[in-house]
Parts: sequence; structure tokens; C-alpha cells
Amino acid sequence: MAELWNLIILDPMLNILIALSDPLFHSFGLAIISLTVVVRLILFPLTSRQTKSTKAMQEMQPKMQELQKKYGKNKEKLQQEMMKLYKEARISPLGCMWPMLIQFPVWIALYQSIMRALATTPENLLNLAHHLYSWSVVSQAIPVSSHFLWLDLGRPDTTLLLAIIVGATMWVQQKMTTAPTLDPKQQSMNSMMLLMMPLMFALFTLTFPSGLALFWAVSNIIGIVIQYKTMGWGYLRIRPASQPTKKIKT
Amino acid sequence: MKHIKAFTKIKNQKSKLLLTFAFCILIFSFASCMPGGTQAAQGWAGIALHDDVLYTGSIDGKVIAVNATARELEWSYAISMPSTGMSCSQTSRPTPIYGTPAVFQDLCYVAAYSGRVYALNIITGRERWVYPKEGYMGAIVASPVVAGDTIYVSSSDGKVHALDATYGELKWSSEPLGEKLWITPAIEGDTIYVSTFEGYIYSLSTKDLSLLPWTFKANVGFVSSPVIYQDTIFVGAFDNNLYAIKIGESEPIWRFCGGEWFWATPVVKDGIVYAGCLDGKIYAINAKTGDLEWEFDTGSPIVSSPVWDGDLLIVASESGDIYVFDTHSEPENKVMMPAKTVPIDALIRGSLCVQDSTIYVRAQDNCLYALDIEKGWISWRLPLNTKGES
Repeated sequence: MAELWNLIILDPMLNILIALSDPLFHSFGLAIISLTVVVRLILFPLTSRQTKSTKAMQEMQPKMQELQKKYGKNKEKLQQEMMKLYKEARISPLGCMWPMLIQFPVWIALYQSIMRALATTPENLLNLAHHLYSWSVVSQAIPVSSHFLWLDLGRPDTTLLLAIIVGATMWVQQKMTTAPTLDPKQQSMNSMMLLMMPLMFALFTLTFPSGLALFWAVSNIIGIVIQYKTMGWGYLRIRPASQPTKKIKT
Repeated sequence: MKHIKAFTKIKNQKSKLLLTFAFCILIFSFASCMPGGTQAAQGWAGIALHDDVLYTGSIDGKVIAVNATARELEWSYAISMPSTGMSCSQTSRPTPIYGTPAVFQDLCYVAAYSGRVYALNIITGRERWVYPKEGYMGAIVASPVVAGDTIYVSSSDGKVHALDATYGELKWSSEPLGEKLWITPAIEGDTIYVSTFEGYIYSLSTKDLSLLPWTFKANVGFVSSPVIYQDTIFVGAFDNNLYAIKIGESEPIWRFCGGEWFWATPVVKDGIVYAGCLDGKIYAINAKTGDLEWEFDTGSPIVSSPVWDGDLLIVASESGDIYVFDTHSEPENKVMMPAKTVPIDALIRGSLCVQDSTIYVRAQDNCLYALDIEKGWISWRLPLNTKGES
């Protein structure tokens, strides 16, 4: 299993990442940015599909709430009516899940590639040897330089700047897709989530190597651009619970 | 009733948030633990032997002195470093030790990954001095080298530092030679030779660590520490080649290509370079021509440098097999079969030590092993997880 994972996903990504830094002025930071852009572009059809499915699901929420009020006690009937509603709207409830599941291994591989290529400890450098292709462009780029802008990519950023960028971009991206709702309980939950996730990743940024945080920041920015292209600024401009979700202009 | 409902609502929200947090933690744990995850620094200290006492570093960050005859712990000295994490207060953790301690007169010198050099009394284990007293240099992965009354050590700050062996004061520091230096410098006469990850070999004066005119530049970085034999430097590079570079020249004499990096520092004897490779092979290469004399595939990467016991070459594979080669034997079709093999069932990365037909190994299971070459078995094994320090 481990060998298969390395052979098919991790090693190709790792070698491409290292090879990219050679033509990019030996800058591993630029290599991370480039590979993140490339991966997000390759995954664009899946991301776009996921965004559209999520949006459609959110727009159906008022109808779903009506159904829940109507058939709340009869769970079997509720299930049937919900499935009917999905069918009418031509939405699969798993539609927004499986593109995410497909992307998942790619993100993990990218995360691992960055961590592995940085080889912050002697153990990691030693281990790196077994995963490199015998391309001259790879051997010339090893070991990758960990300096990029003000960052040491192998260490957490000591300034708060990167943490703020990661947190802010994540908040914007989430805000664009989080639909306001009339249910105060749900609204309160959404508001908490909207704050919690960016805050948590900002905290992670202070702990994890900044190379990884750079990947999060770039990935968030690309995510914002993709969402803007597919559904505009979304819910970023809407005040929570001021209007029914149906009337949202996209 | 209303209060109960409100309480339940808050409780539900809290549990959902907790679940989200747990999910994120799970993702990171999953990404770190699943195949491809990175490994924390543990260290692979080598062993120094002086007056029948073995000096090494344990995985839990202690310098250990063990009486080889009595097989007993003489003393231990714990070294810690500040931990990095989300903790609000300053916490510390054991520091890994990668290099081999150096013993000179009554002191044992240890360079720690925390970025400090320690001088400990060889009898009591008490600290004589530590450099720097405040703060840290860059992480030290290499071994300290003693020459005269000076300790030379390279560090991850990219510099070579020279310390007074008696008082631990900084004598000189070189200018930055690279992003980080993880290699042990080689000293020949009044000159120190340093190979760098950026592909340079610098020559420095032992008197003030100033750069000397000769510098060698390769197209790829060097991964191993250099070794000098008859004015020629032998060093492994990231392009899987072992380089032979005549001091003063700008082109290598020869390059020998292995299957992976030559990570371990090679050893040279009687005109033959013995180089362990991460492809699992030990290569015997003619020092003048670069031709292969013989090879042997251990089947596991060779991380630690080979050592000598008279004419016997001792090679350890990472998987824990120790091979003994009689270098006077004739290889068959350029393949040399080992005279003996001793397995220890633990990873070996640190440098070995040999004396009186006994091989001493500090393995990655945090145990010290003594192997009898003649009998081909483990004489004794001592766990190094001592409690506290003495």
C-alpha cells in the first residue's frame, strides 16, 4: 500500500516539485506556488462541480426546512420527499462530496511532497534519497533552498504576517460560499464555523513549516479566484439572515 | 425549560465545533502518519572509545559513558533544547545527537542538534563548558573535530566555528559557506576542507578560518563529508557520484556512479576507496583510476561509514546487518563475499567503533551493542534509556 502510494502519487509530485525549483531561480517558494496553481487548475473541473453542487444544495435549504417541518415526525416519508426534491433539482446529495474525496489524496500528497522536499531534519534528507528520480535537473536542485521572501520555508513564520494571510484568505473563501439562513441556530453555527476554521489554520501556520502555510495561502487565493469566476462574490456581500437565501444574486 | 433548550443548543454547537477541530487534527495526523509522512529528528550518534570507556549519545538526548569491560553505565548527561509548538510557556525536549563525540585529554566533546557544543569531564560527566552559553548556533549534525587546542565544528548557520578546547571560548568563525553545513570538516596540515550542499569545496586556514585561494565548484551539491588521501579529496554528491578531486585542481580526477547517494563518508586504505552507498552496496574503488575493484550488495542502504579492524573492513547496513570483509581475499567476478555477517535486529545509522576484535554499535533502538568479530555474535547489549542524570 505504502509503495503504491509513493509510486503513483507521492514520488511523481515530489520530483516535479523539486525539478520546478531549478528553472524558477532555485526558489522552492516559487516551485510551491507554481505546483499549487497547476494542481488547482487540473482539479478545476472537480472544484467547479463541487462549488456548484454546494451552491445548489444551499439554495434548496428553505424547501428542505419546509419538508422537515411538514414530515418531521415521519422520518421515512421525510427521506422519500427529500430524495424526490433532489431528483427534481437534478442534484445528487453526494455530488459535492465525491469531488472533494478525489481531491483529498492529491492535497495530502502535495502536503507530504512539500514537507519531504524541504528535508528539515537529517532523517528526512536521508529518506528523500529513496524517492528521487535520477533526473539531472532533480539532483542539481537538491537540497532545495528554504529561503523565500522573509520566510524560512522549513520553519514556522515568526512574524504574524503569513498567519494573517492564511486566516484572512480562508475566511473570504468560506464567506463566499456560506449561505445566510433564517434559522438562528444554523446561522449562529455558520458564524462560529466561519471564524473557527480560519482561526485554527492561522494557529496551525504559527506551528507548521511556513512552506506548508504558503501552500495554504496560495491554495486559498486560487480558491477565491475560482469561486469568483463561477459564482461571483457569492455571499461575501450579503448580510447574514437579512434576506431569504432564494433571492441571492450570484 | 427554556434554559434547558438553550443549554442543549449551546452544547450541540460546541460539540459540532469540537468535531470540526478534531477532524482537522485527524487530517494532519493522517497526512503525517500515512505513507510519505515526515520523520522527526532522532539523532544517530556514533561511538568514541577512550580508556575502555564508550562515549555516545542516546535517542533521549543524553551523553552516555559506558564501561566496556564492566558493561555498566559510568555516567549520563542530559541535554535539552527548546521545543517548538503551540505551548504558551517555554518547554524543552531532549536534543538529538548526530555526530560522534570526540575525546581529548580529560574532556569529552559533544555537538548537539540544539546548536551547542558541550565539554564534559570524562570521569564524572560534569559539564566543563558549553558554547554558546546563551542562545544557540544553528543545528549541529556533524561531529566535532579536535586539532591541537582547538575544536572545529560546522553548523546549520552555514559556518565553521573554532572553539578553545580548554575554556570553550569562540576563537574564530568562518564566513557563511552555505545555507547549512551538515558535514564534518576534514583537516590536513594547516588546512580545513569543507564540502557544501551548494556544490563547493572550500579550503580554510586552521589558524583563523579565513578562506584560502583554492575552491572547487561542482554542478551538484555534496552530500557526504570529505575524506583526504594523498592530496585527493573523496566526497559523495547528490548526483549519485563519488568524486575524486585533486587539491588545487578545478576538475575532478574521476567520478564513480552509484545507484543512489554516497551518504556515508568513505574510507581509504592502500590505494583503495571503500564507499558505502544508499543503494545498499559497498564499493571498493581504485583511488587513482576510479575503477571498480569489487562490490557487495547488502540489500539495505549504508548510512554509517565503514571502519577498520586491522585488515578487516567492517560495514553496517541500515537494516542492522554488520558485514566483515577480509580485504586480502580475492573477489569473484568483482563481487567480494563477507567473511562474517552479524545481525542485530535494529536500524544502524551511527558510526561504529572497533577495538580488539569487538565492534561497538549504538543502534536506533537506543541500545548499545558489542559484537565479537571472531565468534560472529552479539557479546552484550545495553539499553541506554537511563533515568535522570548522574
